[in-house]
Amino acid sequence: MRRFVANTIWIAVGALLVFTTAVAQDQELAPVSDTYAIRNVTIFPSPGRRIEKGTIIIRNGLIDGVGENVPIPPTAIIIEGDSLFAYPAFIEGLSKTGVKTPGEDDHSRIEDPGNPPPHRAGINPQRDVRDYLDPNDPNIKELRCAGFGASQVVPRGILLPGSAAVILLGGKTPDEMVLKPRSACYSELTSNKTVYPSTVMAVLAKWRELYHQAELARDYAAIYATNATGLPRPETNRTLEAFYPVTTRQQPVLFRASKVLDVQRVLALQKELGFVLILGDVSEGWDITDMIKASGARVFLSLDIPEDPEEKKKSKKDSLENAELKALTKRRSEFIQKMTAQAAAFDSAGIKFGFSALDTKYSDLHKNLRSMVEAGLNPDAALAALTINAAEILGIDDRLGTIEKGKIANVALFSKPIFDKDAKVMTVFVDGALYTCTEKDAHKKTASTVEGTWRMTAQTPKEEIELKVVLRKSVGKHYSGTITGTRMPEGIELTDVTLDGKTLKFMYDVLLEGKPQEVVVEGDVEGKTFKGKITVGEYGNYPIEGTKDPER
Amino acid sequence: MNRFVLLVNAFLLLFVMPGEAQVPKGSYGPVALVGATAHTITDGIIENCTIILRDGKIEAIGSNVSAPADVRVIDCKGLHVYPGFIDGGTRLGLTEIGSEPRTLDYNEVGNVVPQMRALTAVNPNSALIPVTRVNGVTTVLAAPSGGMLSGTAALINLHGYTPDQMYAGFEGVVLTFPSTSREGPNDKRKPEEISKAAAKAMKKLNEVWQKAIEYNKLDSALGDNKPDYYPELIALQPVIQGTMPLIIEVNGAGDILSALEWVREKEIARVILSGVREGWRVAGKIAEAGIPVITGKVLTLPDRAYDRYDRAYANPGLMRKAGVTVALRTNEAYNVRNLPYNAGVAAAHGLGKEEALRAITIVPAQIFGVADRLGSLETGKDATLFVCDGDPLEPATNIKYLFIKGWDIPLVSRQTLLYDEFLHREPGLQTHD
Amino acid sequence: MKVLRWQIVIALLVTFPMAATAQPDVGDVLIRNGTLLTVTNGTLENTDLLIRKGKITAIGKNLTAPEGCRVIDATGLFVMPGIIDAHSHIALEAINEMSSPLTPEVRMRDALNPLDISIYRALAGGVTTIQTLHGSANAIGGQSVVMKLRYGTLNPTELIFEGAPRGIKFALGENPTRVHGAGHNMVPRTRMGVEFVIRSALTEAREYQKKWDEYNEQKMKRGFRGAPPEYDDRLETLAEILRGNIIVHCHSYRADEIVMIMKVCRDFGIKKLVLQHANEGFKVAPEIAAFGAMASVFSDAWAYKFEVYYSTAYNAAILTRNGVLTSINSDDPGVIRHLYHEASKTLKYGGLSRDEALALITINPAKQLGIDNRVGSLEVGKDGDVAIFRGHPLSIYTVPVMTIVDGIVRFDREKDPDDMRIYVDPEERFDQSGFEVPEGYHDCLGTATETFHQLFESH
Repeated sequence: MRRFVANTIWIAVGALLVFTTAVAQDQELAPVSDTYAIRNVTIFPSPGRRIEKGTIIIRNGLIDGVGENVPIPPTAIIIEGDSLFAYPAFIEGLSKTGVKTPGEDDHSRIEDPGNPPPHRAGINPQRDVRDYLDPNDPNIKELRCAGFGASQVVPRGILLPGSAAVILLGGKTPDEMVLKPRSACYSELTSNKTVYPSTVMAVLAKWRELYHQAELARDYAAIYATNATGLPRPETNRTLEAFYPVTTRQQPVLFRASKVLDVQRVLALQKELGFVLILGDVSEGWDITDMIKASGARVFLSLDIPEDPEEKKKSKKDSLENAELKALTKRRSEFIQKMTAQAAAFDSAGIKFGFSALDTKYSDLHKNLRSMVEAGLNPDAALAALTINAAEILGIDDRLGTIEKGKIANVALFSKPIFDKDAKVMTVFVDGALYTCTEKDAHKKTASTVEGTWRMTAQTPKEEIELKVVLRKSVGKHYSGTITGTRMPEGIELTDVTLDGKTLKFMYDVLLEGKPQEVVVEGDVEGKTFKGKITVGEYGNYPIEGTKDPER
Repeated sequence: MNRFVLLVNAFLLLFVMPGEAQVPKGSYGPVALVGATAHTITDGIIENCTIILRDGKIEAIGSNVSAPADVRVIDCKGLHVYPGFIDGGTRLGLTEIGSEPRTLDYNEVGNVVPQMRALTAVNPNSALIPVTRVNGVTTVLAAPSGGMLSGTAALINLHGYTPDQMYAGFEGVVLTFPSTSREGPNDKRKPEEISKAAAKAMKKLNEVWQKAIEYNKLDSALGDNKPDYYPELIALQPVIQGTMPLIIEVNGAGDILSALEWVREKEIARVILSGVREGWRVAGKIAEAGIPVITGKVLTLPDRAYDRYDRAYANPGLMRKAGVTVALRTNEAYNVRNLPYNAGVAAAHGLGKEEALRAITIVPAQIFGVADRLGSLETGKDATLFVCDGDPLEPATNIKYLFIKGWDIPLVSRQTLLYDEFLHREPGLQTHD
Repeated sequence: MKVLRWQIVIALLVTFPMAATAQPDVGDVLIRNGTLLTVTNGTLENTDLLIRKGKITAIGKNLTAPEGCRVIDATGLFVMPGIIDAHSHIALEAINEMSSPLTPEVRMRDALNPLDISIYRALAGGVTTIQTLHGSANAIGGQSVVMKLRYGTLNPTELIFEGAPRGIKFALGENPTRVHGAGHNMVPRTRMGVEFVIRSALTEAREYQKKWDEYNEQKMKRGFRGAPPEYDDRLETLAEILRGNIIVHCHSYRADEIVMIMKVCRDFGIKKLVLQHANEGFKVAPEIAAFGAMASVFSDAWAYKFEVYYSTAYNAAILTRNGVLTSINSDDPGVIRHLYHEASKTLKYGGLSRDEALALITINPAKQLGIDNRVGSLEVGKDGDVAIFRGHPLSIYTVPVMTIVDGIVRFDREKDPDDMRIYVDPEERFDQSGFEVPEGYHDCLGTATETFHQLFESH
């Protein structure tokens, strides 16, 4: 009986994985324990505070303890935090991370471009970004590995693409990711250039009209609801209904306004209509901080900084005389410098702001933050913008933004303090789940004994199974890796790889007979050989051996 | 859309031509302009001057000349005489109504069509011509445009009933030099795309030029036997042989430098630069090359947002100061009549009055090789001149008489006729019932 | 109750959309010993002009400069009121909402661009006030902005001419028929259609207004129960035209269409009408004068399309002589820099006097925009908007040397650096030059044509 089962298992381990890799690859199945203890770590629980050699306990998705002498529960998976720096995982306020493009299949000819169907004009406030979330979007991982744990995401589209949501950058399903649905009504001053409204002035005219129509419809709907008899039936209109909470100031409008003129347009509209405003993606606001402050609008500044064209240019033939060229390039550089120093200007003006990652290359996020700090932004203010201030603006500071007992366990572990130019994100906890962030160049420098490619053979009752395991260095004792085998050519991510002394342990997840099973491999490393056992869920364990490929 | 255009054109053919207000014809015969202040351009100002016009030529000019008995005497006391103004680049005669493609004859299909001759398509009866000449502009270069080698331009006098009667003795092939500039407000190409397109055009130009040289060699080698008919290359032969100038339309500073280099490399004997909006940026280099320039229009915007606001006004003066030979143009069709005002603005922005006048008289005449006939008041030259009551560059000045090759042109255009008809309209306001 | 409250708020918004709060900067300056071309009061030689807190407070000989007041020596220079352009499209990020033949609800103030270098360049031509308009693609276009050229501010609101009456663009003839008729195969494709579109829109607005009036009246009654009519920004704006609260600036060329729009206005009780371009206005000058309409024309632009083929540069003179209050406009970022020169052409074409010629670009456009109590002449009490020229501004050799808005020097030929951009493009390259605005390019025409081809012909 046992034999039979074992055979089934091994076939299943290989065969099933072929079919489930698409899901399994990025899928984080439950680890051994949902309790972690990060110990001996330097903690920055909130801007301006620092705990040396502290411990963070994470349990059930929440932070269960922070401090210098916090007892470690026996169930905790211990992460050695020596030489690591823990921050509240960052929060950004406007991006499209993990958001799919709505599948538009309506390409029919618009008879009257002056009066198009609303969805063709980009008027879709009734849409909800939750309907377009893709947990497997690689951008989620990328933003997470920049140290972010939460993001306010918006639907793709123009003008009024739909309502935003604050999501956690981890989770298997859209609903699991969502922290705060309908966090804002998202809007841009963009338009479909071929139908009404096609220009910025018509976009604003349309906005006003919708707003006024929504107010009238809302009030009449209220009257009708009290006593419908004798009253004309109000037409239902999802566009206007989506605007009701905006008109009652229950839902803020998140307006993308990057350039100085767009910011002012949006502020003027807000002043006229009175909605609650969050400005997003602001990149040219340094000269109008007074105006922004007076408006009471909340702000997410762009994390993008344009590259100085001088730096990428290779002695192009310039027809200008040197003096003129010098003056012009100087002005351009000074302008870029102003963009870089924008956050500092907002801080000096006393405006509370967060950051938005929209349109910023995620790989540039840290570099840009460092540039901002070099341009005069107080590091604590930068940290506040990335954490508690963003949380306050989004109204989630009771849940996120600091490393405090009771908050959601969103914690980022860095190799250096974050504004150090060598700082790297090693591990990020999101919603209590551990995610490792390995960098290609990191493992080159710190090649260790287990890093590399291992050829392993598991001895099952029926046959020998060939496995290839690739391990990379992560944080401290932690590694990451993938496993491929005869029947699983696609390869799957290892969920938890540790090397404690000589003991190498790694896990991965498979589906067996419809049930997720955890496979645990554990054994001792001697130079380039490995000997241990492989345990397949409830089915039992078998011997496994391996050797490491020579380094290239 | 097409039907709409056709309808409009049918409408034009039916009504416009026959219905147009007629300008009276000119008169011919010997004339003495007596007592004028003559601005000869080449020989200073002659006060109390008498000018005898006979057989289409200036027979005599001077303060000691007296009017013979057989001539019509025009008392010009207190008036001024100037040679007719020459616009070094227009579309006059080649276009009638800007938005109606069927009235546009300056842009033939094809990128390399130097064989297209402007003189063929000049419409002597264009309503634009009288409107232009009554302001003192007597002679213009009618130039094709649109492609790289878009045709052969012709210098025309603004009087005559056939193109041949109007022809003023100069033709030149027009080359629009490959441009790395943005072409207009709606040119949204990326800088790289612009550079790429320019490089591609440059390659094409070099290929054409190489072929033209080969054709020239073949032609010389064959003696009396002609090589195969190759109209594009045949049209370029006078340029290759140095008997006809190449008019190079080029504007961006970088492009001007490239053009100068190209001309040197190809050893082109006779070249005129045209446009040259950013000439001020590289004026020294143009002067060094010794290539004359026809620039304009003057009353326009600078090219770049960071340019000083008056660069276009100052460009002719800055180039002249650097030693460049500068003539002016309007680059217009409908308002070539504003050539004197373009000159006036250039004068006020560094060119100076005297040089500004030269830039629309003798300098273009020299550039076009017609200075033996046009461009100044000298004995033996064409009687192409006008009489006015003040500084002709000033809008307040009125022209009193205008002669083109001895023809006394009535100072009437459709615009003056409309004035006469409508200043006090009959019937006037009709009250209802 | 809430409905009522919002109705009031909406009404307020519609009636006073320019509740500008921004206070523009004002300054003090004494201009000494210039030749003052007052426009309304002849030429004053060797005269001083004092501006305090942005207003002209004194004109006379030997005025004394108050403490700390900037003094400009204008000896040998000409001092005239800041030039006014009644028809421009500069300082806008968008010009034409051409998706519909009717777009009265759009406001150009929403597209204002204070960073546009064209503003500075216009100042360098002595211009201090302009009306910047919607394009001419639509029979009824958007609402225009009257603005002062306070170049240097980032705030669009600070450009707006406080208290200027509202204006709106209408457009007849080839542009709307080409964009909508030829482009979308929709009415209007002909001048008949243009009239119909305008008449039906105004009629609808009248009915709309009636519906709301009735509703608002009923609502006051005790126990009223009913639904409000649909709110429509487009019709709200048209209703404002009918109430006489918006000046109609009608792009028009041909005599017949000029007569048509006057008939339409008469039928709907619209009295404030300025004919824009009106190239054939001279043909129906007596009718225009009788209606009381005004005309804002080109100096000499013609033949760029068929409807301007039978034009004449004598238009401004004929209109003036027939009693039509006339101005000369630019409609172009290049021409706006030499409106003084454009006006000077009327000395030649029709023999206007120098004061008449200057009025075409100062007091007359001020009257057309309803701001002549504030600007358009050098008079005590008016705004301190002044242009200083070396040489008489109607001479071809004149050079504007200084332009002052509200007592603040906004253009100084001697002192300003070459590069006057407020913001720069961080990605700009300097190895490629820009472009020349093509000949005969007028925003009304050009933008409409090109964008039309871009947008509609490809689909």
